[in-house]
Amino acid sequence: MKADSNGQLHHDVGMSAEPPHGGSGGDREKQQPPAALHGRLLQVSRMATIGEMAAGVAHELNQPLTAIANYAQACSRLLARPGADPAELRQALAEITGQATRAADIVRRLRALARNQQSERVPASVNALVREIIDLLESDTRLHGVPLSLELADGLPLVVVDGGQIQHVVMNFVRNSLEALAAQPSGESRLLIRTSVTTQHDVELAVIDNGPGLAPDALGHVFDPFFSTKESGTGMGLAISNTIARLHGGSVGYRPNPPTGACFYLHLPSQPTP
Amino acid sequence: MQEQAPTIYIVDDDEGVRNSLRFLLKSVGLATRVHASANEFLGAYKPKQPGCLVLDVRMPGMSGLELQQQLNLLGAIIPVIFITGHGDIPMAVEAMQHGAADFLQKPFRDQDLIDRIQRALERDTRSRAALAQLDRIRACFDSLTPREREVLALMTRGKLNKVMAAELGVSQRTVEIHRARVMEKTGAASLAQLVRMAMDLESEPATL
Repeated sequence: MKADSNGQLHHDVGMSAEPPHGGSGGDREKQQPPAALHGRLLQVSRMATIGEMAAGVAHELNQPLTAIANYAQACSRLLARPGADPAELRQALAEITGQATRAADIVRRLRALARNQQSERVPASVNALVREIIDLLESDTRLHGVPLSLELADGLPLVVVDGGQIQHVVMNFVRNSLEALAAQPSGESRLLIRTSVTTQHDVELAVIDNGPGLAPDALGHVFDPFFSTKESGTGMGLAISNTIARLHGGSVGYRPNPPTGACFYLHLPSQPTP
Repeated sequence: MQEQAPTIYIVDDDEGVRNSLRFLLKSVGLATRVHASANEFLGAYKPKQPGCLVLDVRMPGMSGLELQQQLNLLGAIIPVIFITGHGDIPMAVEAMQHGAADFLQKPFRDQDLIDRIQRALERDTRSRAALAQLDRIRACFDSLTPREREVLALMTRGKLNKVMAAELGVSQRTVEIHRARVMEKTGAASLAQLVRMAMDLESEPATL
């Protein structure tokens, strides 16, 4: 089933009624199965997004490494003195082990995210998908000095999705917000990931910030390919998110977050309860 | 002024880094206090306590740079050593421009940190001694009578006794007596030193 089966899911902006590869055209190019190309495009975009998050991950890894170096150097100093207290040394060694485990966890999470995932749709919980990448998202938001909070609704219906792609959308939304928030003084910025059920029984995943919000002239274009309000932006993040949403029969959209800020959301059709 | 043992304040939101710093500094016999946030530190900070601050640049809520600015506004003299992650060089430059004592990139050699702490503590001792000296000068100057203060003002402008006597409408002998009292009360060994003391008081920033 393609996106056009959910005609009622049209939302505020950025939506085109046509599915990305509707096959309505008669020429040969359009009849080619786009799956391989899409798969590659998504993978490239995914790696680019992860690359953008790398600074946060590097910073995050640096913390346990710093702690390990501090403990190890302190142990050397303690051992250089006669009558070193074994209990004190043991405590430092236990801390070193703990911090090394912490570093390994960060690497493991990054690797899990970066691996080339099969495009496979399985019933999944949106909340669980968010929780899987929350540490990585937090390393990014921490680096930007923005507190991230979660409001994940209980009892959400399952969605049939490629989990990696949905996580990719979340990462794009979060990165988008962080860049918008970078313009204002830190200490005031807030970021929220919220899940809920819409009146149409879709699952909504929203990333909400208290940044400047979208300028009126950006409203109609924000999900277009190569549209970017930032000098450094590729303009692909939200366009890719739009494609992913439609491949899942869902949609993406934007609404303002009064008094100031942006809310980018993803709607996914829920699985009928068996 | 009696010597108080210095305290190294550590402010870092990362528990692992924070505790490892405490452990490291304790291993070289330094007294520490750790805080997880800028606000927590501000709540506990005692301006009279000698020491220095080891401060993480990036923290959620009030960042290290914002805390430094807050301390500058409060007129705090505590020297700040920033610790930064990779890629925070522009922030470190900004911190130095705002008067940071030093900065270090994580992870660092323990000796580098300890050397910088020693330097910061020496700087703190010097600032505190200068402030104490100012307090002493102020107390001396405050003990002068109104007439002696007038004489002091004229002395620091380099006026001769004869001119002062004329300006104040008193005898030269009287001026000489006031002059001697000023020198005695302020403890200045020479006119040059007296001028210097007066200048120090004038240029004193409103601190602590």
